[in-house]
Amino acid sequence: MSDTIVKIQVTDGTVTDFKDKNLLNAWRLSFLGAILCMAYLVFFHPDPYMRVLKFIPDGLWVTFKVTFMSITGALILGLVTGLGRISRNRFINLVASTYVEVVRGIPLLVQLFYIYYALGRFLRVPDLLSAVIAMSVCYGAYMGEVFRAGIESIDKGQTEAARSLGFNRAQTMFLVILPQAWRTILPPVGNEFIALLKDTSLVSILAVSDVLRRGREFASETFFYFETYTLIALIYLVITLLLSRVVSLMEERLSHYER
Amino acid sequence: MSAEPIIRTPIIRMEGVSKFFGDLKALDNVSLEVFPGQRVVIIGPSGSGKSTLLRAINRLETVNQGTVVVDGFDIRSKHTDINAVRMELGMVFQSFNLFPHKTVLQNLTMAPTRLKKVPKAEAEERAMALLAKVDIQEKAQVYPAKLSGGQRQRVAIARALAMNPKIMLFDEPTSALDPEMIGEVLDVMVNLAREGMTMVVVTHEMGFAREVADLMVFMDEGKIIETGTPDEFFNHAKHPRLQKFLDQIL
Ligand SMILES: Nc1ncnc2c1ncn2[C@@H]1O[C@H](COP(=O)(O)OP(=O)(O)O)[C@@H](O)[C@H]1O
Ligand SMILES: [Mg+2]
Repeated sequence: MSDTIVKIQVTDGTVTDFKDKNLLNAWRLSFLGAILCMAYLVFFHPDPYMRVLKFIPDGLWVTFKVTFMSITGALILGLVTGLGRISRNRFINLVASTYVEVVRGIPLLVQLFYIYYALGRFLRVPDLLSAVIAMSVCYGAYMGEVFRAGIESIDKGQTEAARSLGFNRAQTMFLVILPQAWRTILPPVGNEFIALLKDTSLVSILAVSDVLRRGREFASETFFYFETYTLIALIYLVITLLLSRVVSLMEERLSHYER
Repeated sequence: MSAEPIIRTPIIRMEGVSKFFGDLKALDNVSLEVFPGQRVVIIGPSGSGKSTLLRAINRLETVNQGTVVVDGFDIRSKHTDINAVRMELGMVFQSFNLFPHKTVLQNLTMAPTRLKKVPKAEAEERAMALLAKVDIQEKAQVYPAKLSGGQRQRVAIARALAMNPKIMLFDEPTSALDPEMIGEVLDVMVNLAREGMTMVVVTHEMGFAREVADLMVFMDEGKIIETGTPDEFFNHAKHPRLQKFLDQIL
């Protein structure tokens, strides 16, 4: 049994450490601060803050949808890519590695434009779906590396024990390896979730009405640029902090057994 | 030691088996027959190919030359359902390899329920009986990390038995244990032998070998150098390398 827990860090998402039981930890301070700021602005300066707040919920819903669907898509692509990267089939391996290499070499925004216009123009894929596919393709490559490292962190004796009982490769992977690898995978993948949530703001440049785009629409009509972006920053902060909380709760739930 | 006559059809037949790791010949033209109910103990220095031989039987290692037939199935054939053959072959590892994310009970029920479609209640009942047999039923709901090495290995044996295998393969099952825990694991294996289980055991425990082996096999440098009864091995070893090995280990 290995005692080492492999830690993998990719991109800039950050999951706060909730083991800090102090009343004044960074998470609480940021979360309460953001909520109080928003409440203050909306109650004491309802014009324009209340107006912005009323204008944005449609966008919030779109941001949620894009985030949730992209996370799902990226997880599936990440799993497939991770499995491809450890495959003994050289062709599959090459395809998976090339995908990771290509995606890593192109800025997310460029990929977004490219996939969005390619899909929209040639396949008539709806806007929101194109954006989700683009986000999934990009983040799937990063998550693929996390899955690969997570799977490889499991002792090969586990595979041998499962195979010798009569489980086939797929059963071994899904019943024995992945449930254990998930522990190693979740922290870095959680970081990716958060980075992804923030990066969904990029889709506002496409014709997708997320939080940021709704804000821009409001600002350009009313010229309340500063006020609008203040509120938008606070909204992103709150939902990002909430997601990081969810991720760390998931991590806690996974620690029900020792290695 | 079994006095009963043994049915003369081998349940494991290896013939002219060779296995290479790159340039290294881990198995060199090895032939071995194991009959139902027989207890075979394989000994030999480290790196002599004992594990490789054992793992060739259930195809954890694919061999490069020769024939391996288990329970009538040519396991080198592409047409053989290796998973079905493996269900007949229990394997116990030096490093236990229990599933740490499952409780002891789940470790035992997972394979029968998934692979043999045994109903959960029935599988659990049988698992509890097996845990009683290896004297660890009070740990059924515990995760493996909470167990001592000896307890883990007994659970690992019970897990293999839960599939009702025809043959049990043991690869140095006591080598990773603290000395005071070796006995409890060997006791379980001796009992299993008494019940007539077909066993192929790689071990350095010569007391165990003397007590249960019908056939002793000595390996060195990938070859089977000598075979015989425990009496022949311990009292009249023929090959100088075996004599030297036994002198060192006893
Ligand atoms: N996966 C492997 N890759 C390369 N060499 C191996 C591998 N497994 C075993 N060997 C080599 O094959 C030889 C026999 O190994 P093994 O069967 O494990 O010996 P034993 O179990 O008798 O100690 C050793 O020299 C060992 O280093
Ligand atoms: Mg060995």
